[in-house]
Amino acid sequence: MLEIKHTLCPSCSVGCGINVVSYNGEVVGTNSYKRHPINEGKNCLNGRNSIDMYKNKLKNAKISNSDVDFEKAIDEVSNILKSNEPEKISVICSGNNSIEEVNKIKEFADSNGYNIGFYADNFVNIAGDVASYDEVENASNIILIGDILYENPLLGRKIVHAKDNGANVYSFVENASVTANISNEVCGSLDDVLDKIEDSSLVIYNHVESSDDLDKINDITVKNNSKLLAVFSKCNSKGTANIITPSSKEEMVDLLNNSDVLLVFRDDIKSEIDFDYGKIKNIISFTPCSNSTSDVSQIVIPISSWLENDGSFVNAMGLTQEFKAVIDSDDLSEIEVIEKIQDKL
Amino acid sequence: MTYVLAKSKNSEIHEAGECGGAVTSIFKYLLDENLVDGVLTLSPGDDIYDGVPTFIADSEDLISTAGSYHCAPTMFGDLIQKYLSDKKIAVAVKPCDMRSIDELIKRHKINPENIYTVGLNCGGTVSPITGRKMIDLFYEIDPDDVVSEEIDKGQFIVELKDGSKKGVKIHDLEQEGYGRRNNCQRCDIKIPRKANIACGNWGASEGWTFVEINDEKGEELIKGAQKAGLLETKSPSQDAIDARSKVEGIMIKLSKKTQDAIYDKVNAMEEWNRCIRCYACRDVCPICWCHENCEINKSYFDESQIPPKPIAFQGIRLSHMSFSCIDCGQCDDVCPMDIPVSLIFDKLQKKYSNRTGYIAGVSDDIKPPLYSPAKEEL
Ligand SMILES: Cc1cc2nc3c(=O)[nH]c(=O)nc-3n(C[C@H](O)[C@H](O)[C@H](O)COP(=O)(O)OP(=O)(O)OC[C@H]3O[C@@H](n4cnc5c(N)ncnc54)[C@H](O)[C@@H]3O)c2cc1C
Ligand code: SF4
Ligand code: SF4
Ligand code: SF4
Ligand code: SF4
Repeated sequence: MLEIKHTLCPSCSVGCGINVVSYNGEVVGTNSYKRHPINEGKNCLNGRNSIDMYKNKLKNAKISNSDVDFEKAIDEVSNILKSNEPEKISVICSGNNSIEEVNKIKEFADSNGYNIGFYADNFVNIAGDVASYDEVENASNIILIGDILYENPLLGRKIVHAKDNGANVYSFVENASVTANISNEVCGSLDDVLDKIEDSSLVIYNHVESSDDLDKINDITVKNNSKLLAVFSKCNSKGTANIITPSSKEEMVDLLNNSDVLLVFRDDIKSEIDFDYGKIKNIISFTPCSNSTSDVSQIVIPISSWLENDGSFVNAMGLTQEFKAVIDSDDLSEIEVIEKIQDKL
Repeated sequence: MTYVLAKSKNSEIHEAGECGGAVTSIFKYLLDENLVDGVLTLSPGDDIYDGVPTFIADSEDLISTAGSYHCAPTMFGDLIQKYLSDKKIAVAVKPCDMRSIDELIKRHKINPENIYTVGLNCGGTVSPITGRKMIDLFYEIDPDDVVSEEIDKGQFIVELKDGSKKGVKIHDLEQEGYGRRNNCQRCDIKIPRKANIACGNWGASEGWTFVEINDEKGEELIKGAQKAGLLETKSPSQDAIDARSKVEGIMIKLSKKTQDAIYDKVNAMEEWNRCIRCYACRDVCPICWCHENCEINKSYFDESQIPPKPIAFQGIRLSHMSFSCIDCGQCDDVCPMDIPVSLIFDKLQKKYSNRTGYIAGVSDDIKPPLYSPAKEEL
């Protein structure tokens, strides 16, 4: 029958709520969750499309692109893990995992002596105080780095509110963008926009070119007694970063260079880190749907999507929010899959 | 036109119901007699500020749906059209829900034979988060301590666990940007007369629901529930009928005043400037049903430009459906950029209505005459 249930949006780190509509046990649509304090029922297109994950779910485990029996694939994974040196095995964690999953992944990597890598938009070593969304709405001077209004609209909305309340908004962004349209001034360089910082400003970014740029942003913000808000592209990067130290792009490449076996958990690392993935002997992806990394993986293990799980995410401002499964699942969860593999080692 | 006062004979329903529990009793009658596959109503999710659309197939589950959720600006028309069009259902409808159903019936997207519409009069809904902030600020009450809310005599009244009540004038709340949603402040259809019956507290004595019976199906609903021993009825006094009609008139006047004050103030071009082309306003609109085939997605329009050119984006929707805009405010509710979409569409509908007499979701015309004032407006 028709059912409408609450969950969280998994498509960026703003932390919006979303209602999912199911009919006879199948996910059929989304609906607005107006009681949710962060987004009040508003979701961007990415957020509403997040349920496509259900439609596109992998039906079978795969070895070398052919469908295989799930148990056979798990056996193959454990054989590979047993026949390689632990220091040549790397686990890639992701901000797409829930806190509970990250804990399990870390325990799995640590207890077996595997390396662990976690990439979070090249945001490493974030210093200073993190601004809350209320502080965004009440800020008087806001510095934007990246097209926040378009890419993280439900945080963008809070910036529009701040502007309505009289805030000055300066941005380093393309001229033809909605973020530019609501800015007092669009600056031509990172240095120019950082020049606009005054005491008690707010610096919000969703994109940085390099670790040096990030250091620059951090330094100036702290010096000016101002606050930062790093907006990650994934729903739980902030929560994951509390458990596993994020790596820079260069560190990730080093890790990949040093890996014979790569276990990728709910991530599409290939889309983010340029690397010759053909050099890695075995790539094993644990994912609900195929992506560019699973396309180059020797083994693909299907896991249930967030729609079928309970868990918690930590959003960009550091708020932990719990979510419940909106639908029953026949698939094993990521945690169950890890336990199954561990049992065989 | 027939008026009755109705009251549930089931004590549990009477207790849980907003007025006389008539609506819930009628739903129980329809389910118990197998006249419908299910009933579409609301039940509380996180708390009383969270009305979640719920499809009930077993009358045992109805009790949690009873009562009025004033902080639940939901919309049933699109849910029925998308997911329940092949089912026989009954549904509780505010005037905007009913008007959307009427427009969808005109478009052959809902079969009127399959649906019982139990109307609720409506003075307006409050957005849940706005409601909570407002109770904290103006009532100095922890919103979690509130067990129910009502709108009566121009006040938004909250009731606490200990039975005490506190009210603040809606006018005062709205002056400060709180209170009912902006479209509700303009909404001038307060009694859903296209529904089979229209139920409300206006004109009702304590513990009774005032029911206006609008058609034969409505008559059947009341008689059937009575026969099943679920409902008792009596005739309202002429004074009660007059009082109800007077409040309705006052409410409509207030809405017209708001319309007159606001329509000229909106600068559509400036508002569209923040549009991120997320399609939320279109996707939620109960009148826009041709999604896969929508002109906005046709390849002759450049889809990459953000913000989109208003003429090739909002302009298309304005010219395709603004004459049928029922001012339900769903588009405002979902717009990530807080663009007052409904105001712009409703303003055009009213212009159209002034010229043609067509009131969206209310007029009996088979289809609104095709005419598009949108381009001229843009
Ligand atoms: C937002 C709102 C404003 C109202 N304003 C007025 C008014 O100004 N004047 C007036 O005369 N009457 C008004 N009413 C109607 C009145 O409050 C009662 O709902 C009506 O008298 C029926 O009472 P009852 O005891 O028979 O209903 P009940 O037996 O309590 O059943 C009510 C039914 O309505 C459903 N419902 C509750 N909230 C909503 C909602 N937001 N949207 C859709 N369905 C809902 C419930 O799930 C339930 O099925 C309003 C109702 C609502 C929901
Ligand atoms: S802003 Fe981010 S969290 Fe919110 S709906 Fe969009 S993708 Fe989801
Ligand atoms: S638009 Fe009208 S009918 Fe709908 S909730 Fe608002 S006041 Fe009620
Ligand atoms: S345009 Fe907006 S207000 Fe008008 S019917 Fe559609 S959703 Fe409702
Ligand atoms: S909901 Fe708002 S931002 Fe999205 S397309 Fe509509 S007007 Fe534009």
